[in-house]
Amino acid sequence: MSDARQYGELATQLVMESRRSTQTDTLLKYSDSLVRSIIREQRDLEKAIDAIAIEGRAPPPAMLIIQTAINRNKRCLLAYHSHRVDRLRDMYWAVGGALPHILSNQDIRSKLSPHEVDYLRQYNSSVMEFRSEFSHELDITASITNPPKDLHVLVRVVKDCGMIETEIGSIDFQKGQRFMVRRADIEHLIVQGYLEEV
Amino acid sequence: MYRGRGSTSNERDQLAGPSNQAPSWPDDDEDIFNDVPMAPAIPDNRELNLFEEETTETPLEKLTRHWLNERFAPDILPAQEALLTNLLDHLRRQSEAVQLLRGDPSSSEEEHIRIMLVQTEVERVKFVVRSYVRTRLFKIERYARFITTNAEIQTRLTAAERDHASRHAKLTDQHFYLSVLQGLPEKQSHLDDTPLFVPPMVTEPDKSRPVFVHALKRCPRIRLPDGSTLEMEKGHMSLMPYSIVEQLLLRGEVELI
Repeated sequence: MSDARQYGELATQLVMESRRSTQTDTLLKYSDSLVRSIIREQRDLEKAIDAIAIEGRAPPPAMLIIQTAINRNKRCLLAYHSHRVDRLRDMYWAVGGALPHILSNQDIRSKLSPHEVDYLRQYNSSVMEFRSEFSHELDITASITNPPKDLHVLVRVVKDCGMIETEIGSIDFQKGQRFMVRRADIEHLIVQGYLEEV
Repeated sequence: MYRGRGSTSNERDQLAGPSNQAPSWPDDDEDIFNDVPMAPAIPDNRELNLFEEETTETPLEKLTRHWLNERFAPDILPAQEALLTNLLDHLRRQSEAVQLLRGDPSSSEEEHIRIMLVQTEVERVKFVVRSYVRTRLFKIERYARFITTNAEIQTRLTAAERDHASRHAKLTDQHFYLSVLQGLPEKQSHLDDTPLFVPPMVTEPDKSRPVFVHALKRCPRIRLPDGSTLEMEKGHMSLMPYSIVEQLLLRGEVELI
């Protein structure tokens, strides 16, 4: 390692990012360069171990320090990724499992690593497979924050969303209009921010 | 508690019964809807029940109890497949009947209000089912790797849940491999290290987590962590580690609150 740095300092930075993400409740941009640097540090540490380990002799004390650093770095790396996919799954459920809604959002998309996009796609298909075990009347991806009190809801259209099939026929939702519609028919549009409850 | 469009407060008072009872239906349709008893047959026997040890629970009350238990328990509780299938079948038949009645021009105004009550109740029951299913799903994803290696916990899941658990464990492993592990030297690229002084890498349910319990009946004596014993009378409430009440909960003698 060229610059003077303690083992595991980069990993601490990485974990701090996860913590910041939790505290501000935002998804931060994937730290590709930091992750790469830590992986490089891991390879260097492994080489350092190979250099001091001599066949047939008791391992030198330095080995313990290096091995601890390796274990810690690895856990930090995994913790960072695990924290991120947890956030991604939360995000996925928050929009009622509407994956295109997340992936078409440029702001979110730019914060994801390519593997994370793949992860979301595969997670989506796994959830869809699970959902298909239930009859089509019970959509398990619908909201579970507030129990329904009314069958119908008065909504205002925030973004155009085109023709939607409802109980009283198809409605063309255009920005600024208000409708009294069955909640179950348009709940997902409220969740995705097309409609707003009045 | 129900507010239907176009119903005056007077009508509401007459029609809205206790929230856990299905509204009554026109007589000629009775046999279609009452195939599964969803409400106590004779509501008036409530008084008699005061003197009995056990009161009968409606399927919806059962579901609500399992739902709350599931939400408060750190571990995954046994799946209630039969109960859920029954309730969902019943919901489907109710929805079909509603569609039929709505399309019938001879339905009176009063019937339409009843239909609306039924529809609202159907949506509310679906909400509970959904929340129950999703609570389980959340825990299953959290403990996915543990589930794939533990045969005992698998017996508490439905086939679909087991599949989801193994899919999820695979997906997470794959993501870790592609993002991190494949870049590491061969010696470090495993997901089941057990270094000293570090928590294990496989997340397991933490059964020592405290839960609030409410005794539904007189419970057998239990031993608390400090060595003392406790005999809970019916109605007793306490805060204690989950592992202590696990068996009582599985037998339905307590509920979590």
